[in-house]
Amino acid sequence: MKLTWMIGGEQGSGVDTASGLFGKAVSGAGYYLFGNREYYSTIKNRHSYFELSISDKKINSISEFYDIVTTFDAETIFQHFQQAKGYFIYSETNVKKGIDSVLSLEPETKKEILGFMNKSNIEPTVQGVIDYLKAKGIVVIPVNYEQILREISAELSINMTLAEKSLNTIAASVSFALLGLDKQYLLDAISNTFSKKPDAIPMNVLAAEKALLLVKPVFNLKPIKKQDIVQIDGNTAAAIGKIAGGIGFQSYYPITPASDESVYLEANQTVDTVVDGVKSSRPVVVVQTEDEISAIGMAIGAGLAGVRSATATSGPGFALMAEALSWAGQTESPVVVTYYVRGSPSTGLPTRSGQSDLKFAVNVGHGEFPKIVLASGDHAEVFHDAILAFNLAEAYQTPVIHIIEKSIANTYSTLDKADLDYSNDKIDRGALVHLDPSKDYNRYSLENGPVSPRSPLGSSVSWHSGDEHSESGHIAENPTNRTIMYEKRMKKLDKAANEIPEDKKLNIFGDSSAENAVITFGSPKGALKDILEDLLSQDKIKLQVIQVRFFSPFPTDELAKALQNKKRVIDVENNYTAQLGSFVSEYLHITPTHFILKWNGRQMNTDELKDAIKRAVLNDEKKIVLNSGM
Amino acid sequence: MVNYKTTEYIDWCPSCGDFGIVSSETMALSDLGIDRSKAVVVSGIGCSSKIPHYINVSGVHTMHGRAITFASGIKLANPDLKVLVNSGDGDLLGIGVGHFVSAGRRNLDITILLHNNGVYGLTKGQASPTLHRGLQTKSLPEANINDSLDPLALALTAGYTFVARAYAYDAMFTKEIIKKAIMHKGTALVDILQPCPTYNNINTKEWYEKRIYKLDDDYEVKTPEEASEKMSKALIKSFEWGDKIPIGIFYENNFIPEYGQRIAEHVPTYFSDYPAKQVIDQNGKSITDISRLLEKISI
Repeated sequence: MKLTWMIGGEQGSGVDTASGLFGKAVSGAGYYLFGNREYYSTIKNRHSYFELSISDKKINSISEFYDIVTTFDAETIFQHFQQAKGYFIYSETNVKKGIDSVLSLEPETKKEILGFMNKSNIEPTVQGVIDYLKAKGIVVIPVNYEQILREISAELSINMTLAEKSLNTIAASVSFALLGLDKQYLLDAISNTFSKKPDAIPMNVLAAEKALLLVKPVFNLKPIKKQDIVQIDGNTAAAIGKIAGGIGFQSYYPITPASDESVYLEANQTVDTVVDGVKSSRPVVVVQTEDEISAIGMAIGAGLAGVRSATATSGPGFALMAEALSWAGQTESPVVVTYYVRGSPSTGLPTRSGQSDLKFAVNVGHGEFPKIVLASGDHAEVFHDAILAFNLAEAYQTPVIHIIEKSIANTYSTLDKADLDYSNDKIDRGALVHLDPSKDYNRYSLENGPVSPRSPLGSSVSWHSGDEHSESGHIAENPTNRTIMYEKRMKKLDKAANEIPEDKKLNIFGDSSAENAVITFGSPKGALKDILEDLLSQDKIKLQVIQVRFFSPFPTDELAKALQNKKRVIDVENNYTAQLGSFVSEYLHITPTHFILKWNGRQMNTDELKDAIKRAVLNDEKKIVLNSGM
Repeated sequence: MVNYKTTEYIDWCPSCGDFGIVSSETMALSDLGIDRSKAVVVSGIGCSSKIPHYINVSGVHTMHGRAITFASGIKLANPDLKVLVNSGDGDLLGIGVGHFVSAGRRNLDITILLHNNGVYGLTKGQASPTLHRGLQTKSLPEANINDSLDPLALALTAGYTFVARAYAYDAMFTKEIIKKAIMHKGTALVDILQPCPTYNNINTKEWYEKRIYKLDDDYEVKTPEEASEKMSKALIKSFEWGDKIPIGIFYENNFIPEYGQRIAEHVPTYFSDYPAKQVIDQNGKSITDISRLLEKISI
């Protein structure tokens, strides 16, 4: 069972509150959710929307078409009516509005919409859209928001400005009424949403009661036995993962969509600990720095003092960190950079998503040095990878770059609490030692292979230099020393390649007997997971998906094994140049047979991806470019 | 007796002012009896930034302009360490000036020793941010057309709570200033004037020694109310450059909370359980418990 819902409105007008309320009510009845927030790089006055997939099983993706579309304003109607497939809720007072009255609509968007309207003989007004939808068999639900607000104002003797704050609740409640769930779930969600503003509860309850009377249930959802579930977005998953993994220091400079992680850590700087049943706490230091260069410098410095340290940034900030990452590689200093990838190059699409920075992450920093780069494909992976990233940084004494796309950072899913169980995620501090401070110590000792014991600053005297250095850490330009120390560093990458478990390098799912392999990384995992069953049952297409999780070291042997005997290798990526595909060509000397690519800043949805896979497999289309989403 | 100098071969030019600074700094560490393993010298890039290799405490030789950032991370992770930054004028006031200014806003307890010789020595003598306009040092094809930055005035207005100037060839005086800077609880700047015998043929030993004179001891802010008056006085003094050049301590203010104290206001256990002190696992198992955080997001 799957149901899709969306709500749109002007940014800052309460779309987030309404979607939060609706989500809580539905998940309160035991359903799993996957939600995505799309917004402009602005504070107010631009179109934003939230899309939600609801299922009785875990769900990992969004869809192009919605069972329920909820709107307050005219712009949402114009932007999204083509995506409606069931029920369409709109404000009655908007019907006379024409598309020209929506000034915030981008000219390119308006042209596209008008093109469609012209082709389909739709009058360019809300009324025109509503007539079109009706003719298509979509149930349109007019709501007189203003009248309800006036009633609330009168019944509670409050002014209209205050009453208007319940607009979001009305919209969410009309949608909720369609589901057929007991209204108590909605009322509980209201109490929960407004728990910090209890004065607002009676007004919102009244708004809900009135809205619930407007429509009859159509979906007849039944409550599911409540599981032990959490609702988590990518930023929070990374932050909580870092906390579980023992973070002691995080530095950051504000940037979308990375800052939310650091702000979460700032709000939770005292974390709980338990040792032998004794509860205590420990502080985490979080610093907002003057720029990203300072952020990475401080994080490396804290790492030298023996602390698990990290920073979080996005493309422009990551670019500024390049030189310091090279320094960390040269000095064998552990540090974790959580790299939130958004639409690039330059400022690009700062609040949208993409996968075009993969090669930049792998190649960042001048010179050759071991670097570990991994990318997560969903919220649970983000959590566990945040712990793993610290382990790898310390085990191989080198920078680790953890890639999380905007479409994972700003989406949320409901997970079983067990998905975030970290009792099996070991804390591996590598060769961290506390040596006798009076004894001399060679930081880059060659005695025990490529990883030398690392005694933190403050525990014994050591030298660290970005210049080539000898075992002592002092500057050395001798050619033989250079050859040896260079190789020492690079050998750590071979060691990592040998030691990182295969199931961490690749995530393989689907039908192992399938002759069609999909290779991908990051966020398309979710949509691929959710279409496997349909492709098999509706189109008899068997698929095996290989989600690559590490890019340095690249899992060459493991991937070669996985791709043996595959007739088609379909590369699915959110970029133009198929960057993962080119790594496959470079390391495996094979080229993917088909490409499904998308670089419009929006994540892949199940409808377009299912269609694209069919076109690749059944029609042998070699390159398919996707462009859906608003 | 602890030797605070390493046996590394020093490759500075003969009679470089850096020799005076490394002597003053090691004598200061020795006088204060600082545990070698509890001190860290952090530097950037340039002649002066090789200094960690010559001082027998932990050394971190970082990137051009970025020493303050690394030093800040080290100090924040382990506030029990004495953290010193040694970098040149190009490093701290050119490429790294953003960090230099921002350090004042934090007032973290670190000591910044600015090797100030007016030139980029290691790249063969280009003008640094402290070289005055109109001067044409030896390797400049034309006279310098940029105005100079005044490190003292910049530090004072940025929020540094200890601001001093020393002269590299007066090693005993410089040592005493460095000691006071280290003992000051907050961000301390010591602007150390030093001749570059190879590239700065204008601000030479003879040039300086004709001009420098020592300030009196009236630099400390005694009550919060007199802070602005003391700072104004220090600012005016900092602009004195010409026939007479003052050295000594210009300003000290102990009423501004140090950055660690500000952190401790949010996380009271910071000083007793700072990050570098924490044990985060027991036999490879995380001791951090996230159940309270999961409770907040549970449905």
